[in-house]
Amino acid sequence: MGKGKAIVITSGKGGVGKTTTTANIGTGLAMLGYKVVVVDTDIGLRNLDVVMGLENRIVYDIVDVIEGTCRLKQGLIKDKRFEGLFLLPAAQTRDKTAIKPEQMLELVGKLKEEFDYIIIDSPAGIEQGFKNSIAGADEAYIVTTPEVSAVRDADRVIGILEANGLHEPKLIVNRIRYEMVKKGDMMNVEDIVDILAIDLLGIIPDDESIVISTNKGEPVIAEEKPLAAKAFRNICDRIVGKEVELLNLENGEGKLSKILKLLFNK
Amino acid sequence: MKEPLVSFKGINGGIYINIKKGQFNRIIEELENKLSETIDFFKDANILGIQSETLSKEEIDEIKAIIKSKYRLNVLDKIYDTTKEKEEDFSEIYEGMTKFINTTVRSGQVIEYDGNIVIIGDVNPGALVKAKGNIIVLGRLKGVAHAGVEGNQEAVVAAYDLQPMQLRIGSIISRKPDGNITSSGMPEIARVFNGEVIIEPYLPRK
Repeated sequence: MGKGKAIVITSGKGGVGKTTTTANIGTGLAMLGYKVVVVDTDIGLRNLDVVMGLENRIVYDIVDVIEGTCRLKQGLIKDKRFEGLFLLPAAQTRDKTAIKPEQMLELVGKLKEEFDYIIIDSPAGIEQGFKNSIAGADEAYIVTTPEVSAVRDADRVIGILEANGLHEPKLIVNRIRYEMVKKGDMMNVEDIVDILAIDLLGIIPDDESIVISTNKGEPVIAEEKPLAAKAFRNICDRIVGKEVELLNLENGEGKLSKILKLLFNK
Repeated sequence: MKEPLVSFKGINGGIYINIKKGQFNRIIEELENKLSETIDFFKDANILGIQSETLSKEEIDEIKAIIKSKYRLNVLDKIYDTTKEKEEDFSEIYEGMTKFINTTVRSGQVIEYDGNIVIIGDVNPGALVKAKGNIIVLGRLKGVAHAGVEGNQEAVVAAYDLQPMQLRIGSIISRKPDGNITSSGMPEIARVFNGEVIIEPYLPRK
């Protein structure tokens, strides 16, 4: 085994932001100077290439690499903006049964020799695609949103991960809306951590800039201003071992509400 | 002795005549010899078809006429013949077999054909169309199109709205530029010119 570390990003539930998180963490670690590959294991429903803006460069994919249709180097797509960042895309015209966990383990082993970080984007669900995605991972990050259904699925996935030897996964809470939490309309992070009982890696605020950057195919983390970008940068700092305080989400409030606050001294 | 050109293969329901590559008059001669020797055996049998990799349809029709008129064997109207067109590698781009797809080709779907492909509909991102000949899309082409897959760089790709994720012609691959590109609003054709894929309107005056 090489020196790299393989991290799987998973959630159980769909649509909570696994792919966005993968793209941003991958990009962020590359911005810190590490050699990173992001791997899409969602065969048949690939998205990571679209979010990274690399769809037009795909010739070979993970199934081609595993089946030996091409060499590993040919399957890796170099990012258009950041040195040291690569994508291994999923196949779109196949399904999850095209690869097996043992093959995935072997592939990740090879990637570890070349890269510092291997960030694996898991498909939704707990079936074969999920099993493939966790096969080679050293660590797991669970993405959830502040909804009971997402938290329930996250809990289920943590149990499966532990049964598969992936102990102490870390938690990323996505799409927090500070105003709603304050009013008591949304679960707060403490509640979620309390239920799941795992370490918190970071909190990502609900942010329009994510939608914009996703549609542009340029992960938001590279932008200076958006709060979500700062939140992802903090997560990356924590991954490489720096101590960073959790983001103060009150910064996310609009200017108007701040002025009102000052005026009415609330 | 030379290897026979003509052989008979019986299956459930009748007989196929296999014909190997050779001079046509020798084939006829051998066929007639064999049939006249064994006519009793073949009486009442159905001839299902003639299989050949080298004979044309006209030649096969001639053979059938002989079998029918001279030997009074029953040749089925329903044809199970194989003729040379089907066996040959497709290299034509000016004519040839064409597959028509009368629907939208969606993400994850692959359309492959050993000839030309005409798609009456859109080709969405994530879809793949591979043809040994040309590809014509009567709609939007936003997926990946590969024309001339066996290396024919004369092949073309044309669409009412040509905005492919990737275009491959023969062994040449070109990709869509990064960022937003707006549609030209007119039908376009892509072909290889000086080793590169170029796109131009095919109705420049419209």
